[in-house]
Amino acid sequence: MEHQSESELMIEAHQLRRTFGQRQAVADLSLSVRRGEIFGLLGPNGAGKTTTIRLLTGQIIPDSGWARVAGCDVARERQRLKQRIGVVFEEQNLYERLSARANLRFSCWLYNLPEKRIDEVLTLVDLRDRAREPVGKFSQGLKQRLLIARALLHRPAVLFLDEPSRGLDPISAHTIRQIVQRLSEAGTTILLTTHLMEEADQLCQRVAFIVNGRLVANDAPRLLKLQHGKRLLQVTLEEQQDHSQGLRDITLKLDDADDQQRLTRWLSEGRVRSLHTQEASLEEVFFHVAGVPLS
Amino acid sequence: MHLRSILAIARKDLIDIVQNKATLVGLLLPIFMAVLFSFINSIIGGSPTRLLIYNPGQSPIEQVVSAAFSTPAITHAASPSDVETAFGPDGAHKQSDYALGLIVPPTFESDLRAGRHPQLQLFINGDSIGTTQRALLAQALTDYGRQVVNPEPPLAIVTSTINPPQPNTFAENSKAFFVMYVLVMTIMNATGIVPGLIIEEKEKKTLRMLLASPISFSDIIAGKLLVSLTYQALLLLLVFLIMQGFTGNLLWLLLFLLMGACLTNAIGLLIGCLFNTISASGAVGGILVFFFIVPALFVGPLGQFIQNQSFMTIIKAIPVYYLAEGIYNALTSQTPAATMLTDLAVIAGTTLLLFVLAAWSLRHQAAVASSI
Repeated sequence: MEHQSESELMIEAHQLRRTFGQRQAVADLSLSVRRGEIFGLLGPNGAGKTTTIRLLTGQIIPDSGWARVAGCDVARERQRLKQRIGVVFEEQNLYERLSARANLRFSCWLYNLPEKRIDEVLTLVDLRDRAREPVGKFSQGLKQRLLIARALLHRPAVLFLDEPSRGLDPISAHTIRQIVQRLSEAGTTILLTTHLMEEADQLCQRVAFIVNGRLVANDAPRLLKLQHGKRLLQVTLEEQQDHSQGLRDITLKLDDADDQQRLTRWLSEGRVRSLHTQEASLEEVFFHVAGVPLS
Repeated sequence: MHLRSILAIARKDLIDIVQNKATLVGLLLPIFMAVLFSFINSIIGGSPTRLLIYNPGQSPIEQVVSAAFSTPAITHAASPSDVETAFGPDGAHKQSDYALGLIVPPTFESDLRAGRHPQLQLFINGDSIGTTQRALLAQALTDYGRQVVNPEPPLAIVTSTINPPQPNTFAENSKAFFVMYVLVMTIMNATGIVPGLIIEEKEKKTLRMLLASPISFSDIIAGKLLVSLTYQALLLLLVFLIMQGFTGNLLWLLLFLLMGACLTNAIGLLIGCLFNTISASGAVGGILVFFFIVPALFVGPLGQFIQNQSFMTIIKAIPVYYLAEGIYNALTSQTPAATMLTDLAVIAGTTLLLFVLAAWSLRHQAAVASSI
């Protein structure tokens, strides 16, 4: 059973450390991601998210620590690793004079893939009817879809997405999230970095907060919110005032005995119109845990 | 390095380069120059060179002789005496309607192979043919003889000259000069193509994508150099065809063109590694153009007019001068091998130095490439 559980881990990092000159970009970072999981790495700009991706994709070598991605040691098996991962970079690094199809064809040549795969990935990101247009004429959203298509050409086991929704309009961002969701359902393991808490909340099964190169929290978004939330209840109460009915919002503390008694009484009197738990947002949790705002 | 990866890069860039308007203009410039200079040369070159040839055995040597002139007009003589009459016995006449007369024995090639010392009779009119063309012609005839019988053909050339030979004129050497100039400009293209291809990958951040794929940094560089060499070869061929420049000593010419390609690609590689923006490399490239167009100007006929030795010393301090001189001399076949070897050594030394610098820069680039 132990062996089976190990094989389910598609990303494993242990005590990864990387410095650039005097600056420690990543410090003792450990994490693990299961097959098919969407894992979010959240943090402000310069926190070490992109460096972590570069370490995990074998673009740079860690000073110490180790990591295995899709069964490959990121420092020793870089060539094999490159065949098993896909990377969508923060920058929209496409050949803008070439068409979408020509961009993908070039990637087919790089990975020695049959060109029929191009139509498959274009269909996956719904770009088939724009395939012959030069990429330079594409909107940010279309480019992002093409970047994902390019990263998926060689059917990677693990997909790294660096800020996939940056600079996109809400509709394009929603489309990208849908694509990511579908990929996860199809069994692709996804590690994404973002500073958009709403995106992380919607997409990720687990998130990790990274600040100054260190992981300060790592759990499911819901559990993090429960763990670090204030446990408050918003009650909308019906009140009789001068022969007319009115509504009043009252906030109760769930851990306070007096508040618990008041709520029980109002419920028995039938005066409670609505009840809402005041769960902390992921952004508030980040601030609470990291001690710094996200942006 | 992997050939498949190198070819992948090369195929992409071969397509991408013609879709980039700036690069395309750069590529088309030598062709435009070739057409322009051919036109200018046809004006300067003047009327056709009239050749009177007696060639009963249809020997290919006739084509060899006519190829030595830019605009030959051949008249076939019915008998050897027709040629002798036109120039006078042993070139006794002072005037002739023809620039050159040639009497080829009926069984020239078979006599040559049998070692029977066939005799070519050549009549040269010094009013129409200068020393350079005469030297070219002699070289072409000897080369042809060597093609038939290697290495020392039992060939006898009897030359009769009417009128004293004229010193070389600009018109006589203009074709070789123009061909050399356009060839140098064509080779120079690599100093713009190579850095453009490398820097654009850095500037557009596509280099990061490439390095995340199974391709290596050395594959990328090799692919870029292959593209540059391919375009250089294609352009050189086009320029040759347009300017009909297949004259002189082709072996030396190809050697100089190859060394020139190595030199310009080394320069391009160094610029591509040292700079990270197209604008910066463009500025350097703009300055570099002068180091190609100026020294090449003073090779050949124009250089003979310059009396200021200090100026020529400065010009000769630029290695491109030796490239231009080597190409020009190869085109005219008028310089001893020692001079050609000196020119070649200067270019080879410069190229080696630039490649060493580029390799040092590449090692640094490979280390930081992923952080760009």
